[in-house]
Formats: sequence, C-alpha cells, structure tokens
Amino acid sequence: MVKLVHNDIIVLLASMGGILILARIFAELGKKIKMPIVMGEILLGIILGPTVFGSLFPDACAAILPKTGAVKIAMDGITSLSVVMLLFVAGMEVQLQVMLKQGKTAVYTSFTSMIIPFILGFAAVWFFPGFFVFTPDRRLVYALFFGIAMAVSALPVIIRIMMDLNLFKTKVGMVIIAAAIFDDLTGWIMFSFVLSLMGQEGEITSVWFTIGMILGFGLFMLIIGRYAINKALPWIQKNLSWPGGVLSISLGLCFLSAAFTEYIGLHAILGAFIVGIALGDSVHLQEREREIIHQFVTNVFAPLFFVSLGFKVNFIENFDWQLVLLVFFLAVGCKVFGASLGGYLGGLTKRESLAVGFGLNARGAMEIILGTLALNAGLIDSKMFVALVVMALITSMISGPLMKRFID
Amino acid sequence: MDLSKLKKRPAYPFETIAVAVSFSPRCLPVLAEAKHISDALNAALLLIHIGEKTSEKEQLLDELMNKAGMDDSRYRVIWMEGEPVETILKLCKLNIVDLLILGALEKENVLKFYLGSIARTISRRAKCSVLLLTNPMEEPRRYKKIVVNGVENPKTIHTINTAFYFAKHLKSKDVVIVNEINVPGLAMAIADQSTIPEAKEIKKLLDDEIQETIQTIIGQCDIGDINLNSKSIKGKPGYAIRKYAKDRRADLLVINSPDTQLNFLDRIFTHDIEYILAHLPCNLLIVHSRV
Repeated sequence: MVKLVHNDIIVLLASMGGILILARIFAELGKKIKMPIVMGEILLGIILGPTVFGSLFPDACAAILPKTGAVKIAMDGITSLSVVMLLFVAGMEVQLQVMLKQGKTAVYTSFTSMIIPFILGFAAVWFFPGFFVFTPDRRLVYALFFGIAMAVSALPVIIRIMMDLNLFKTKVGMVIIAAAIFDDLTGWIMFSFVLSLMGQEGEITSVWFTIGMILGFGLFMLIIGRYAINKALPWIQKNLSWPGGVLSISLGLCFLSAAFTEYIGLHAILGAFIVGIALGDSVHLQEREREIIHQFVTNVFAPLFFVSLGFKVNFIENFDWQLVLLVFFLAVGCKVFGASLGGYLGGLTKRESLAVGFGLNARGAMEIILGTLALNAGLIDSKMFVALVVMALITSMISGPLMKRFID
Repeated sequence: MDLSKLKKRPAYPFETIAVAVSFSPRCLPVLAEAKHISDALNAALLLIHIGEKTSEKEQLLDELMNKAGMDDSRYRVIWMEGEPVETILKLCKLNIVDLLILGALEKENVLKFYLGSIARTISRRAKCSVLLLTNPMEEPRRYKKIVVNGVENPKTIHTINTAFYFAKHLKSKDVVIVNEINVPGLAMAIADQSTIPEAKEIKKLLDDEIQETIQTIIGQCDIGDINLNSKSIKGKPGYAIRKYAKDRRADLLVINSPDTQLNFLDRIFTHDIEYILAHLPCNLLIVHSRV
C-alpha cells in the first residue's frame, strides 16, 4: 500500500504552500496588465512544470513535484477535489429563472449559441477526422466532446467583462448572462454524458440507461433536492455555527452528490454541478455565505488546480500551431456566429448581436476544466489539450475589447 | 361592449371595479373593503358571483350588501354560471373592469398552490389590475404603508403612478419604492479578482445605478404630499420584496403584472411574482398597465 512518509508530507505541504503563494503573486501581477487570474496560474504551472523548470532542472523538478508515488497520488486527489468544487460553485451561479424570464432574445441566443457551435464542432471531427487524433472506436465520443468544447462559455469571465463595461443592466448584458447560464447548464450535462459514454460505445442500452440516469438524477435534485435544501437552510443558519455550518453542510452535500453520481456511473462533476444549482437557487442562501463559499474555492482550490495543469504536459513540445489555429478560429467562428445569429433573430441590432457574440466567446476556466477532464479520461491527447487551453485563454482576453467595439 | 376601449387603456384611474362574491365567511369583509375602495376612487362597483342564482343566495347577498352599506345604483350584481376563472376573466373583459378585487389566503396549501387556486390563477392571467385582500376587515383600515416594486421594466412607471393614485385617494402616507439587486455570477466574479475596495465599489455602483433609475421615474410622477422613500435590497426578485414587505409590515404591496404567460414550470422553478403568490406578505395590487 502506498503511504505518505515523513519526507512525502514535507514535499506535499511545501509544494502546496509554494504553489498557493506563487500563484497569488502571478495572479496579482497578471491583474496589473488586465490578464485573467487563471492565466497567471497556468503560466506559473507551465514555468514550474516540465515545460520550463522540468526541462532545465529535471532532477530538482522530480524531487519537488514527483511524477509517481504517494505525493503524486495525494496531489491528484487534491486536484480532483478542486475540480469537483469548481463545478459546484459554477452550479451555484446557474439561475434557470434568469433565462426563463429574459424572453425571446435570450431564448434564441441561448439556443443558437449552444447548438450551432456544437453542431459545427461535431461536424468538424466527423467529416474531417484527419485533423484530429483519436482512437477509431472513439470517433463519436470525440466528436461529441469537441462539439461541447466549442459550445461552452465561462460565466465568471463574462460577468467580469460586464462589470468592466458596465453592461449589467442593459438588454445586451442580460441576454449574454442568460445565454451563458444556459450554455453552462447544457454543456456540463452533455459533457458528463460524454464521459459516461466512454467505454460503452455501441451499447445502445447503456446509452439510454445513462441518459435516463442523468435526467432522473437532474430532475430529482432540481425539484426534490432543491426544495429540501431550501427548507433546511434556515434551520442550519439558525442552529449551527455561522458561517461554518452552511459551509460544511454545503460542501458535504457537494461531495456526497459527486460520490453518488460517480457511483451510478455518471461523472462526479455532474453531482457537484447539480447540487450547486440546487443550493445556489435557495432564497435563504445569504449573499455573504455565497461569497464565502466562492472565496474558499476560488482562492484555495482553484489555484492548486490551474497551476497543476502546467505539470501535466510540456506546453512547448505539445504546441502544434496548426491545431492551435484550427481550434481557435473554429471556436471563435462558431460561437460568434451562433450567438450573434440568435441575438439578431431575437430582435437585437447587428451591432448588439455582434457584441453578444463576442461576449459569449469568452471560454475561460470552464473550457480548461473541460479539457483537463477529457485529458485525464484519455479522450484527448496533450496537443489538443494545449490547443484548448490556448484558445480558452485568448478568447477570455479578447472578448472584452472586441465587445467594446460594438457597444454604443 | 366595445372591446377596442381596452387597448392602450391607461392603468389608472380605476373607473370600474369588480369584486368576486363567493359567500365564504370572508365575503362581508371583502365587500366592505371593495365598497371603501370604490367610494374613495369614485368608481362603479360590480359584484360578480359565479354559480347558480337562487333565491336564498339573492337574499343572502342583499343582506351582505346592506351590511356593507351598498345601497345605491352604483353597485351592480352579475350572476353567471361556468368555470370560475374563465368566467370571471371574461366578465372583466366584457365590462371593461379596471380593477378586480378578490379575497385570498396568505398561503395556500402546497397542492392547491401548485395546481392553482382561483384567486392566484386569476392574478396570473388577468388583463386588468387585481387586488388580492389577505386580511379584509368589515371596518376597512387605511393603507398606511405601501411598498412598490421599482424593477427596471417599461411597465414600472405606470405601476408607480398607479400606486401614487391609489395612495392619494386612500389617504396613505408612506410609499417606499423598492428595487431588488440580483446579478447571477457576481459573487464568483468578485471572488475571482477583486480587492475589498474594488468589491465595495462594484456593489456601490450597482446600488447607485438603481437609485438613479428610481429617481428618474419618481421625477416623472405626481407625488403630492406623500412621504416617499426609495430602497434597494439584495436578493432574488420577488422573494426579496416579499420579505421586505413582510418585515416592514406593509399594508399593500404593488407590483407589475407578469410579462409572460405563467405556467406550472414557473411554480416549480419559482421566480418573481410566483414568490409573492406563494406566500402573500400583505394585500397585493398587481397593476396591469396594458402597454
């Protein structure tokens, strides 16, 4: 049995401490030049990982960040926890009602900004498989994954852009937020379906069983679970220590739900995401509690996760510029076209529609999490992972300035 | 009846008021409140009963009307059989009713709420303003404190003006215009990359914008001598204002009519007016502005 010995504990704690402090320094430096925090964290991972530090000082790198053994297993455990919690907080910001009440423009935009990139991404893999690397028996799953990768948006980045451009209260702003929520919701549900499909291609019964399980679990949690959480929250706030009670019960529910979905053959992220929606929807969840949960996850676990991405692959060796360009232009083209078309059909002007298109084009952390999970699952190779990370970072940086051009 | 008169008809004044008569124990207080309001607004009052017209019911209604002080020609009774919701809505349309008054429980049981009680179903679908009375009195009280939803919506200016019109005629003194702040994803975005001063600045900016909007609307209204305040509160739209009205012990909450046709799903994924209908904090005036 692999066990953490004295030296392993020192290495693990020192690595985590160093990562957290350096990630904060990189993030704050990045902020000065308007770089998304996640970019600073990934850049640190690239520097500390095999790309830079590992190439120059392989022995030292292996001692600090071992590739095998107990420390590696412990670090992998922490990053798995992190991704579950990141999906949990992403779920907390999904407000189905926002989409329901925004009317025709939001419905059109939400639908086209999801479905058009998905179809085009799927078709790119299906009809031009030569551009992509996958095992022949996984063509369908890979195509589905790539479609989803083209379709996701990143609500936190988008909200940040809205803040910078002061678009919260505008029609364009509300349409973008509603569509991003829809894209997040459908994207993660579809992705957990794709992950569940891996290894069961061709087994129609299993596919239908998986769809049934996702729908059953989703509906149960969003109706019964949501109702129960909403009823229980005032009792927790009144009778348990504050905010500790809410924090521990919330994260406890997140892990239990994630464990349950993993147990029934769906991915843990689905459980975390759906329970996040159920908790975030509660009218009793106070703003301060919401902020504390976000602060805890975003500032402790997110840096560990995003820095660790740089340890996974050598970004220089796996930088295939043709693939990077293909993924980037396909992602931007599909999303901007899909979202703008929806906005235009929904009654926005051409300029407003383009602003919506570029706003929803920001992929940010969500795309990177998606790519990491696909890489861990062995669905994509390191080159595609690097291409997705580069696309996510660039789209996050260009969305704001491009949107600004179309806002009067 | 000339139904074209309904189109673009202003939200106020309330020239014709209707009240639904159910012969429940609260029938007399509801009639007394309806009379008080119609007298104050100088409006004609229709009494609508959906059900069979029998001599016993006629006699009982005469007694109730006498007790409520309804003894002149301004009060007309309509008897009609049929499905209550559809029939009441149809009668309101045919008689160009501006305000429909209904008695309503503060809270329905879960099953009834989800299936839809008569008063709540009418509130969701009516093409005229609706006043739900949660605690009607035989000796009507004044509507001292009125809370109005100042949500950003083209209808809001009409709703606020209607609230002032109502407040002036019913001698109300305090009106508070409340706006709810709810930005999905804000906590996540702030947690991601904001210092404490930056986070405070963002929240202040949101608050200032809302206050500015409310002040612009107020500037277009005829306030008279009403003591007017404005307030922005954080929370889910509908729930936050319901809680505010309850905590402040408001006598009347005034809101816009729904923008879309509400259905069962809106009660499952509760939002806006559905939070209020789920548990009425006080009397509720839903203003249908026909814009």
